[in-house]
Amino acid sequence: METLTDEIIMQKVAQGNLDLLKLLFDRHHKHVYNFLYKMSGDRMLSEDLTQDVFYKVIKYRGTYKNGSYVSWLFTIARNSLKTHFTRNQHNHDDIEVLEYKPVESENITAQEDYSHLQNVLNQLDPSDRELIILNRFKEVKYEELAEIVGSTPGAVKTRVCRVLKKVKQMYLETI
Amino acid sequence: MQSIEKSKTNVFGNHIVMKRDRIDELLPEYLDNTISEKDRVELEAYLARSEEGRKELEEMKTLFEAFEKEETTVPSNSLRMQFEEALEAEKSKSGKVIPLESKEKKSSWASNVLKIAASIALLVTSFQIGSVFQQKKVDGNIASLENETLQMKQTVMLSLMENQSASKRIQGVNYIEEIPNPDDAVVDALAKRMLNDENDNVRLTAFEALSRFSSSEKVKEVFMEALSKEKNPSIQIVIIQVLVQMQEKKAIGPMQRLLEQEDTQPFIKEQIKTGLPKII
Repeated sequence: METLTDEIIMQKVAQGNLDLLKLLFDRHHKHVYNFLYKMSGDRMLSEDLTQDVFYKVIKYRGTYKNGSYVSWLFTIARNSLKTHFTRNQHNHDDIEVLEYKPVESENITAQEDYSHLQNVLNQLDPSDRELIILNRFKEVKYEELAEIVGSTPGAVKTRVCRVLKKVKQMYLETI
Repeated sequence: MQSIEKSKTNVFGNHIVMKRDRIDELLPEYLDNTISEKDRVELEAYLARSEEGRKELEEMKTLFEAFEKEETTVPSNSLRMQFEEALEAEKSKSGKVIPLESKEKKSSWASNVLKIAASIALLVTSFQIGSVFQQKKVDGNIASLENETLQMKQTVMLSLMENQSASKRIQGVNYIEEIPNPDDAVVDALAKRMLNDENDNVRLTAFEALSRFSSSEKVKEVFMEALSKEKNPSIQIVIIQVLVQMQEKKAIGPMQRLLEQEDTQPFIKEQIKTGLPKII
């Protein structure tokens, strides 16, 4: 059972074997949490949203359609995050709906202690940031990334490389 | 357009400019070790020539190391607990549904057959009960009809017996044969005919009709009375014969009186004489 792919396990889950979801939770919940944390910079929020993502996996297990499980999971995670910031739009008057920037460091010094790399990532556009986070931390392949963000693998690859270069420059400049 | 331009410059040997974008794509693959063999050879050849390229590679390596060193935050344990709680809740929800569904399916098949069987049984039973009741009703109808016709006949008989015409009265008397158990009114009417009718034939017919019910005490009394009253010898003889046959002891008195009467016909007396000893 440990060696089965995520996709085969998820198919069994969709057919009603709910216990196997624990396995998928074990495999992925840290990645989902880290993705959300790196995107939002908020531990509490990330935990809530991770919880929400796996509730949705339980609830919508029937809608899983044999594609890449990681793509499916992170599509849910991404949508949860987007929904969260859309709902709290009124709290961010001057920010565009999708411009969910992490809380600026001066506001949260007591709570969050970001690494240098994280600070660099925080300066990126959310769309660029999520590509880099997914690609570098979870090692999501270009094909799956394309599926998540709704693009082609080639375009995603080009973009990831361009952003990586930008990050590299920013990282080295401010070190 | 740009790439075409760059490939043009390639012809003139300006490696650094021409490969700018391509190198940007190849460096991460090289560091991740996902680069294809062909690209690797090409990139390594380029790096060997280019100081700038090697610098870029080093920088990218530093960045990648930073990514690798970047500590991953660990969510609290309550996340797992809450997830498992939700999963258990979902399991108990769907766990109850699934067996119910299959059970329902199974039992619905069996219960459908049972329902059909029960409805057929109900239909047959009700049909039979209905026909039984129908039969009873018909029987009752027939019985009451029969009863009615008997009553009719009796009435007809009684009225006929009162008719002026002797033949009609005989006809009326003869109806007695169609009545299995005549009631007192019929017996009375017949007795009246037998005792009082002016016509001999009517009296004779009435006697013959009554002789069928000779076991009745009332009929016996009527016979006795008729014996003393009757003047027609032929009827007297028949009465005597029947009484003798009946072994009626009460008839001995009236018979002896007949013997003593002068106006009794000699052959009647003969008949009585031969008959009397038979009544013991």
